[in-house]
Amino acid sequence: MPLVVESPYYMHLLIMVCMNAILAMTFILMLRAGMISLGIAAFWGVGAYVSALLAMKLGLSFWISLPLATIITGMVALAIGSVLVKNPGFGFTILTVVIGQIAELAFAHLPYLGGYQGIVSIPPVDPINIPLLFSIQFTSKSASYYLILILLLVVVLGYTAFYSAWTGRAWAAIALNPRLAESKGINTYRYRLLAFVVASAGAGLAGSFYAHYYGAIGPMTFGVFKTIYIQIYAILGGVGFPFLGPAIGAFIMIIVPEALRVAKEVEPIITGILLILLVLLLPEGLLSLLIRRRGAGKPLERLAPVARWIKGLLPFTGQKWGGAGDNAKGK
Amino acid sequence: MLKVNNLTKYFGGLVAVNDVDFHVAKSEILGLIGPNGAGKSTLFNLIAGLLKPTKGRVIFENKDITGFSTHEIAQLGIDLSFQASTLFTRLSVLNNVFVGYHMRYQTRIWKRLLRTSSALKEEREFRRNAMEILEFMGLKTIRDELAENLSHGDQKVLIICMAMATNPKLLLLDEPVAGISQNETKNMVKLIKKIRDSGVTIVVVEHDMKVMRSLCDRIVVLNYGRKLMEGSPKEVLESEEVIEAYLGTAEI
Repeated sequence: MPLVVESPYYMHLLIMVCMNAILAMTFILMLRAGMISLGIAAFWGVGAYVSALLAMKLGLSFWISLPLATIITGMVALAIGSVLVKNPGFGFTILTVVIGQIAELAFAHLPYLGGYQGIVSIPPVDPINIPLLFSIQFTSKSASYYLILILLLVVVLGYTAFYSAWTGRAWAAIALNPRLAESKGINTYRYRLLAFVVASAGAGLAGSFYAHYYGAIGPMTFGVFKTIYIQIYAILGGVGFPFLGPAIGAFIMIIVPEALRVAKEVEPIITGILLILLVLLLPEGLLSLLIRRRGAGKPLERLAPVARWIKGLLPFTGQKWGGAGDNAKGK
Repeated sequence: MLKVNNLTKYFGGLVAVNDVDFHVAKSEILGLIGPNGAGKSTLFNLIAGLLKPTKGRVIFENKDITGFSTHEIAQLGIDLSFQASTLFTRLSVLNNVFVGYHMRYQTRIWKRLLRTSSALKEEREFRRNAMEILEFMGLKTIRDELAENLSHGDQKVLIICMAMATNPKLLLLDEPVAGISQNETKNMVKLIKKIRDSGVTIVVVEHDMKVMRSLCDRIVVLNYGRKLMEGSPKEVLESEEVIEAYLGTAEI
């Protein structure tokens, strides 16, 4: 099985990689519909809080509160998004920052959410018991790891369905030229809203897992700072790669500093330097190296099929993330 | 088919289109000419819903479509092809054409997400159809190229391909031959006539008077946002008034 290590600490890091990869995927999904969201952590938090409350106040099992939290997060996103996506472009991005701030305050001050201490002793993932056949406990790290891998797969399959169906093409069209898309009969408002809801629901799913896995949540976890990290994961891997990019970006950003035992205090500095270098040298992310090499005519025969496979995974490669701004260029 | 009544558009204090009336009959090619700034593109944007008129009505197939949003107007069968080479630059040629099929999908969205057989069948059908269009237009061999890598002439042809994919009833063409070679121009004229022969009504804005003379059934002349005159190409292009307003410096 993929990447199983002995140390529970490293298992924990791998679990965090997978969960953050899901969050980065939601960032890319919105980006591909032409929206740069800085409020993903807020919806991650909505999923976590909703799931924790469902489990603790209503006594629901994790297996029920997970889909419920996902759906409720999607509905919250529908309500907020129906206002937000009316202002595409910079207006949208700034409003998502505002939503992020409001969410952080709301988590801290709304009743039943535990204030700045947050919610503790959230019940862990319930075991699956099928009499006479098998029973799975989720007390060990490796069981949680397989669980998040499955959730990751669910998100990848779900998002692939959206990307490869008509919706993916409509999103790409809207991101590239909303005016032209509109004049070809695409209801840009509705498709943007769809992207917002689908992406936020994915973040809610990750939040629900996080709450039950970690056992404690607090408002500071879901702040704007987290969203910035989510972006870094996505950009580091390459936003042209909606699934592999986040996975590799999150892996590098989480595992490498830990493996190098870099002191916690200097970690943000190194992160910042890394990000600046990345934007300067590889604006399309690490994975763009594979495809760029191939395009430049330097035959990396062994890598070419890999690159083609990566390219084949997604309907539209090479969409520059900077090009996703919403300035109508058409005339 | 299309009627424009007293259409007026102010930008602040500036009148871009002033009290313009005209109509387009079914399966005709109507030319729209006028000096730069005469309001031709604004008029197109008003018809296609990208701008809202200050005054006046747009009536399409006996339905008042004034104030409809752009995608609603597109869904009724009016396709606007923009002036500059406006394409989805970072999509392939084939995917550009595919965008035109957006409003022709019949299957429900969840069926498309789950890739049921009816959705896949529809997708295949559109793919075949798109290939036919590309073959007809001579772009089939470069269908996987990104649109931004095409030559200017090919981009213009691709714009027409995208328009055909929407299966429009009325096609608004903004300068379809601007900046392309003589040979390509000749092909484009043939192409536009062919599209008309398949039953599509066309309104075309163009500065090339030779092209307009051979292409149009009727021509409407705009000047400073007002309609100067309308008539057959011969009448219009030889009228003193028009020559004075516009063609005095043009090649004729």
